[in-house]
Amino acid sequence: MNLRFRPPAADVPPHDARTATVIGRLLGVALLVCFLTGLVSHYLQEPPGWVLGDLPTRPVWGYRVTQGAHVISGIAAIPLLLVKLWTVFPRLFVWPPVRSVGHALERLSIAVLVSATLLEVFMGLLNTAQWYPWPFSFRSVHWALAWVVAGSLVLHLAVKAPLIAAHWRRRRAGPETGSPDDATDATVRAPGSGTVDADRRSLLIGVGVAVTAVTAVTAGQSVTALKGLDLLAPRDPDHGPQGLPVNRTARAALVRRAELAHWRLTVTGPHPFTLSLAELRALPQHAVTLPIACVEGWSKTAHWEGVRVRDLLARAGLPDGARLRVVSLQRRGAYRVTEMDRAYTRDGLTLLALRLGGEELSMDHGFPARIIAPNRPGVLQTKWVSRLEVISA
Amino acid sequence: MRAAAGLRVAAGATGAALLGYGAYLLWTDTRAGTPLRVAWWLAGALVLHDGVLAPLVFCLGLLLGAGRARGVVRAGLVTAGCLTLVAGPVLLRPGRPANASVLPLDYPRNLALLLAAVACATLVGVWWRRRGR
Repeated sequence: MNLRFRPPAADVPPHDARTATVIGRLLGVALLVCFLTGLVSHYLQEPPGWVLGDLPTRPVWGYRVTQGAHVISGIAAIPLLLVKLWTVFPRLFVWPPVRSVGHALERLSIAVLVSATLLEVFMGLLNTAQWYPWPFSFRSVHWALAWVVAGSLVLHLAVKAPLIAAHWRRRRAGPETGSPDDATDATVRAPGSGTVDADRRSLLIGVGVAVTAVTAVTAGQSVTALKGLDLLAPRDPDHGPQGLPVNRTARAALVRRAELAHWRLTVTGPHPFTLSLAELRALPQHAVTLPIACVEGWSKTAHWEGVRVRDLLARAGLPDGARLRVVSLQRRGAYRVTEMDRAYTRDGLTLLALRLGGEELSMDHGFPARIIAPNRPGVLQTKWVSRLEVISA
Repeated sequence: MRAAAGLRVAAGATGAALLGYGAYLLWTDTRAGTPLRVAWWLAGALVLHDGVLAPLVFCLGLLLGAGRARGVVRAGLVTAGCLTLVAGPVLLRPGRPANASVLPLDYPRNLALLLAAVACATLVGVWWRRRGR
């Protein structure tokens, strides 16, 4: 064993506080976008009581943009996170490992921050490929860890605030102004020295190239302009029945065409009614252009035709819309029964769609009828609809 | 300065509260046994990163030395490494995808093309730096 092993120095650029601050800022922005867009998705899927009836249906592409941004910022965070950790890696070996109770707590909080961020980003990336090797629910753990990451990051920023402030701007030549409780962070080399700055700049350019590369080759699954560069994304906007990707096929949902021969739509309400497919087709048809956007980050805009949910509810005696329970014929999957906020049902763009891109819906897109609503998570755009049940007017 | 100190304490308390909320969600809003399993996975993430990935990258960085083309080579390695990591799940996911629109691309070919492009760009960059501009 080599007893003369010396751990890497914690303060020699690019393992210095200025580099950590610059990369940390960029990582902070990526994580903030990821967190906020994640909140949007969570609350659109599970709205708290006080927004019921007023969920935002505009902009119609809102969910497409926020979920595209969620996955894009998460993937962009990968190079930033790893390089940020690399710049501060020598600090893992500070000696003595623990100076005081406060220092021990700080190191513990950093262990929480680092492990939670690594696991959160890792889980998110694997979820986009629909790969779930862990022995727990993706959804509930990804949600809880998001708060753990956000909290431990804010705590970390508060602890490091003086150091971050001291290195927020590029240092002019002059005395160091490191915080008193973090004196070891003072750079040993002459501040502002040319080679140090040049090396840091080249590192930042390298990180910038890496972020650009991973973003460019994956963002095409939601950003139409980057479709041509879509090389590593789990989805491609052009792959799928009727030119549109699918998450749950009819086969996976155990819906068979033969069973749909006697399909009827049932709408409950003050004046409940049922309609055959032919009767539904005979009602006034409306065309809308709306995106289907998945929480996994892929999305595509499509042309839909069908009957307005608003018109169906008016026929049932509810001209101002109503909170609905949408029931699907699917036998498998957690979203057989979904709830639709009144804000969507009174919106003229919300359809019970019968056609996609000028053709009858294919089985995988929800034949004979599916929901398509503006600014709504794809998982709630229920397919193979058989019943619209009024929960409350 | 006192206002800044107060703000710092408030931010710290907010962070601790959010962290506590996350822990509370993990404890109450998941199935029995989940918190312990998540703790193991968190520890695993730390061990894999701090014990394997970071030391490897760090040693690689030391091997790079301080030549004139160090920055270019580093950029190339970071980019190639990150592209490979991002491609990991789509390349390694076991089992058949749920349907034909999931993982529809030729990922091994695409990653090879990208790595080749990064290698070419890095070589050009090294040559450019050595030439002394």
